[in-house]
Amino acid sequence: MSAGKLQEILSQGKFAVTAECGPPRGANAEVVWKKGALLKGYVDAVNVTDNQTAIVRMSSIAACAHLIQMGIEPVMQMVTRDRNRLALQSDIMGAYSLGIRNILCLSGDHQIFGSQPEAMNVWDIDCMHLIHTVKDMRETGKDMSGFALDEPPKMFIGAAENPFADPFEFRVLRLAKKAAAGANFIQTQCIYDIARFKEWIHVAYEQGLTEQVHILGGVTPLKSAGMANYMATKVAGITIPEAIIKRLEATPKEKAAAEGMKICLETIQELREIKGVHGVHIMAIEAEDKVPEIVKLAGLYPRP
Amino acid sequence: MSESYPRPPNHSMAEVVETNNKAVFKPKITVFHCFNAISSTAGADSNEYDISAVRMPCSSMTREVFLLRAFEAGADAVVVMVCPEGDCRYMEGNIRAGKRVARVKKILDEIGLDGKRLNIYPVPEKDLNTIDRIIKQTVSDLAGLGPNPAS
Amino acid sequence: MIVGQQKPLAEIKAEVVPFSKLLILGCGTCVKTCFAGGEDEVATLASSLRLAFKKDGRQIKIEELTVERQCEDEFIKEAAAAIARNDAVLSLACGAGVQMVANRYAKSPVLPGVNTTFIGILEKQGLFTEKCLGCGDCVLDVFAGICPVSRCSKKLMNGPCGGSHGGKCEVNPDTDCAWQLIIDRSKDFGQLDRLSTYVPPKDWRTSNAGGPRKLVREDHII
Ligand code: SF4
Ligand code: SF4
Repeated sequence: MSAGKLQEILSQGKFAVTAECGPPRGANAEVVWKKGALLKGYVDAVNVTDNQTAIVRMSSIAACAHLIQMGIEPVMQMVTRDRNRLALQSDIMGAYSLGIRNILCLSGDHQIFGSQPEAMNVWDIDCMHLIHTVKDMRETGKDMSGFALDEPPKMFIGAAENPFADPFEFRVLRLAKKAAAGANFIQTQCIYDIARFKEWIHVAYEQGLTEQVHILGGVTPLKSAGMANYMATKVAGITIPEAIIKRLEATPKEKAAAEGMKICLETIQELREIKGVHGVHIMAIEAEDKVPEIVKLAGLYPRP
Repeated sequence: MSESYPRPPNHSMAEVVETNNKAVFKPKITVFHCFNAISSTAGADSNEYDISAVRMPCSSMTREVFLLRAFEAGADAVVVMVCPEGDCRYMEGNIRAGKRVARVKKILDEIGLDGKRLNIYPVPEKDLNTIDRIIKQTVSDLAGLGPNPAS
Repeated sequence: MIVGQQKPLAEIKAEVVPFSKLLILGCGTCVKTCFAGGEDEVATLASSLRLAFKKDGRQIKIEELTVERQCEDEFIKEAAAAIARNDAVLSLACGAGVQMVANRYAKSPVLPGVNTTFIGILEKQGLFTEKCLGCGDCVLDVFAGICPVSRCSKKLMNGPCGGSHGGKCEVNPDTDCAWQLIIDRSKDFGQLDRLSTYVPPKDWRTSNAGGPRKLVREDHII
């Protein structure tokens, strides 16, 4: 079967645009259709989260399948928190059989902050192992046991990286490990601290990593100073510089969202100029309707 | 340090016991004290309450089980008197005692005996006035708490 | 050592309610060290239970006994007479000790009085921390002496997650991020680059995932 659009765009050296779609807390496919309809044509692929923040939702595979029916290319997110290696491999095969071509391999957020903190976690393998497994399936045609598969899944492999988490000196090393394990593209955590992002990608660039793996910078438009403060203090792994929070605080409340949008567009502009950045990943969670506007105003429309 | 203890009400203890508790009871109070803090609690007995004193070489010997056993033996309240902080001859005896009292207070609450029946007070060396005030305070508290429900 | 914590009094009370003669059996090894089930805890619990039942207008006869170790037959033999005299045993040992007693004294109900929590250390006065999960295939050599299996909340083998912040784990700001420690220690040894090697998935067969484990030492079987 042919490669996906995301892989095509990235391998042609074009600047990719992806967005995110969180499945509903229920079996209502209409929610997915609505979000899909908002994003269709404006992005190259849509990430579908997998029980994000450990809140139980419609499965990523099912929501991906709904998007495919609409002619949208999904990136199936898969966390190693909820399934052991047996379940992960069988789901990857199933997903591929449904036409899913991209996977984002994650370890996942800890369940303690989710909707069912009393749950047992799995973490039989970590995200690095998952990347390796999907690559082996693609390249050797074998599963983890070494069994030759009848029609092995050939996924385009993504991973996440957070340039803002500690310990900083290990972050590039970890990126290198992910590239070596088989990651083809990386979607980063939301970027607000562009200086630190530049520092990170500069080292990656120097080491030749940006040649091995396509880096898509993550952005999320801020809606208010309150949201910025909340994300800066309550959400693990997010850094927002004082200057940005001040800028939003100095803006009248009713204009804060527009200012947040401006900040987001400025970030995208900067990202496009950084060597080694091959795309942008727009995480407008529960604000999918904003994505077309961002893509247009950023001058990234129409999509190839 | 006199400020740190609430003063007992100005009327006689017998009155308090009568009004707050209907049936008159003669509270039994067990006092654990470090003999560095006070040499004796003699003379503290009265018609209104019974006191039994347990002397220890250092307040750090206050063990949880001793405090509980005092209640088992029928005490309505238990008072631990220790040297003021910084004055313990064995360094941290009084701090340890404080922690243990806090733990037993919790156990008493769990049992339903009310942790307020157990208290710890620092007493400057041989300060009989303070001791007297503590006992009166305990008696007045007991007027509200009533007798030990497990005795 | 095995670290455990005494169950809440209300829970213990509910467990022992059907019995009028109870033996509280302590263990003088791990649970004594972590203040969950040595002589002192046995005495305190016995007194608390007596008071609690008396308050409810009920009598309970409690006998107290602490043996050296409840996980060894040799030591629990000593408890035979006391167990025979009572209706039930409330064991303050770890889960292994409770089962050892139950195994030997098949006719007596044996109840747990302690929640067995982890294999850990006394980090400092009053603070016990988890250090090992008994995975059966120790990899501390690879991770600069810090166990990612028990100390990384996600059991990550290939580096920290994106939630590591200021040396603390995303799961709890009071808990050190195991990976920060692994990296710091590796740096101290000048071995940071060792961590760039891919560590393959763990073989969990040696852990509890492989079913209950057994260790046979032929040289000690006579
Ligand atoms: S690697 Fe296994 S055996 Fe070694 S400390 Fe960790 S859990 Fe224990
Ligand atoms: S913050 Fe550190 S210890 Fe916690 S899950 Fe992430 S890597 Fe593991």
